[in-house]
Amino acid sequence: MKRVLAIAAIALLAACNQQEAAPPPQAKGAPPPPPPYQMRPEAASGNRLTASDGQRAYEVHCGYCHLTGGMGTNLLTKQRMMAGEPPENGLLTNRSDLTADYVRQVVRMGKNAMPQQTKVDITDAELDAVARYLGKGK
Amino acid sequence: MKLVTPPRVSPQAFDSAMQAFAGVVGKDWVMASDADRSAYADTYAPGPQEQWPASAAVAPASVEEVQAIVRLANEHKTPLWPVARGKNLGYGTAAPRMAGSVVLDLGRMNKILELDPTLAYCVVEPGVGFFDLYEAIQRDKLPLWLSVPGNAWGSVMGNTLEHGIGYTSYGLHARNVCGVEAVLPDGDVVRTGMGAMKNNPAWHLFPMGYGPTWDLAFSQSNFGVVTKMGLWLQPAPESSLELVFDIPEADDIGWVIDTIAPLKISGLIDQNVFIPSWLGKMVLKGQRKDFWDKPSAIPEWRVQELLKEHKLGYWQVALRLYGEEPVVKAKAEVVKAAMARNLKAAPVENWWRTGDPINAYETTMGVPSAVPLQMSDWIGGRGAHMGFSPVVPATGKAVLDQMKLSRKIIDSFDVDFYASFTIGGRFANNVNMLMFDRDQPQQIDTMKRLFNALIAETAKAGYGEYRTHLGWMDRVMDTFDFNDHAFRRFNEKVKDAIDPNGIIAPGKQGVWPSAYRDQAKEGRA
Repeated sequence: MKRVLAIAAIALLAACNQQEAAPPPQAKGAPPPPPPYQMRPEAASGNRLTASDGQRAYEVHCGYCHLTGGMGTNLLTKQRMMAGEPPENGLLTNRSDLTADYVRQVVRMGKNAMPQQTKVDITDAELDAVARYLGKGK
Repeated sequence: MKLVTPPRVSPQAFDSAMQAFAGVVGKDWVMASDADRSAYADTYAPGPQEQWPASAAVAPASVEEVQAIVRLANEHKTPLWPVARGKNLGYGTAAPRMAGSVVLDLGRMNKILELDPTLAYCVVEPGVGFFDLYEAIQRDKLPLWLSVPGNAWGSVMGNTLEHGIGYTSYGLHARNVCGVEAVLPDGDVVRTGMGAMKNNPAWHLFPMGYGPTWDLAFSQSNFGVVTKMGLWLQPAPESSLELVFDIPEADDIGWVIDTIAPLKISGLIDQNVFIPSWLGKMVLKGQRKDFWDKPSAIPEWRVQELLKEHKLGYWQVALRLYGEEPVVKAKAEVVKAAMARNLKAAPVENWWRTGDPINAYETTMGVPSAVPLQMSDWIGGRGAHMGFSPVVPATGKAVLDQMKLSRKIIDSFDVDFYASFTIGGRFANNVNMLMFDRDQPQQIDTMKRLFNALIAETAKAGYGEYRTHLGWMDRVMDTFDFNDHAFRRFNEKVKDAIDPNGIIAPGKQGVWPSAYRDQAKEGRA
């Protein structure tokens, strides 16, 4: 167990370091940008009841937990590794076994530490787009 | 969740209210299906969520829509439960105190109306979350810092109105409020402070205004629906130094408080100093069962073993200073000398200077995250937590007495003792975190009995809570008993005068309008 946690911690650190290494060099004095979960894109400006951009909706409405460094990613990384999977699978976008229906259900019903999300948190249209974006499993 | 209509509202009358609301916000933003009701349930409810059922939720997009909804709610006698983003986790989430209330979800009103780096303030709508505000500041590279709570999913305004606390110099969030706009229970709209004058540019700068000061009367309150809030922000400091002291013994908290509180009161320390016990560090290291696999409380011998194994003190003080480097250095010498009177080991020193990266989980530097909530994983299953949070004077004696009192009660229920103290100045907020699995009725039952015992015994010692869950709002209000509960009488007099139909948040914090006073016995945990 301890070993799994240690590996998870290293994997998380590696993920953070990658983030820090990835962006182009900054002017002297400028700090590296925050990790992805703290620099989500701005919300789309259109009608949220007809949104269709799954990636954008995912990053805006799910990103503060489920992008790199977020609490959901941290917990899932640990969980996936204990199930014998690689740490990258802690990121939902790296999963190939999620179905659209499953994504919809977890978002609306909640799961373990994740509370259920309302239609103000994420509209049905946004959720459909996110479910299509993440639901790579058949 | 099945429909529970508000008191004395028939299903048919309820439907017409929903149709009237839909006429204002559009039918998609009136959410009244079983699934919608479940979405607004208290996700961490101590017991069945059905104890605090919303009948529906309605989500306006503007102040005008809020006004229209409030007027219709009066007409249809359909009470509203306003929430900003509805993430009041541990205290009821978005669920209402009174069964059948309609959640007024203000999450769509999420504009940052002003962000002023010169005078260091912002003006936000209810739906703006800590992440949103942080990211807006980062995008424009403004020299401003936030103060964030442990869970930064929530709304900046909502947390502030609920008297949330953070761990920077601006950590007493309600103190940062300067000028609000609120929709009153009759649908009228008012601006407080200098904002009571049209276009006054000092609205969010001068906190007193002219005449009675009402800003905080809208906090933990059911006197209106706050739609805009001015909030002071911390100017980004040039440098910051973290001094980390491991404090070996539980009883050391006494001298720690007597050392730090005077420096906080004098202004040498600006920060709200957070002092978590060892369990606050352990919850990030794994699950409870990895360290103690029995349902009984972790015994003292095992605690001592774990502290040794993980090289932890019983408490950790991670104190942070902010400002120009020479000033910070000078302050650090004073703090270190004061701590050295009782502690031999020198602190670990972590300097930060403008341009250095900031640790992504650093709440003492105003970085939002939800990572501290990983503690819900500690218990496993559908983990949840409640905080028992009395306020005590910031003296070693008062803090030690309170710690011994709550520890004795918590031990007697065979529950893990997980306390923290936050020194906010002349007072310390003591949060006793109680963690449980939502699927273990026995655990929930123990927590409820324990919570009642804590409230009663702490009140006997003379102390009250600063915030509580829906199910204990009345019980805690009962402890504020000066002059036979004059405080509640006064609040209810005001409530009845400005909200004769009682339609804004009946029962909030134990303040009941006469229209629904007969419901006060329901919904108690």
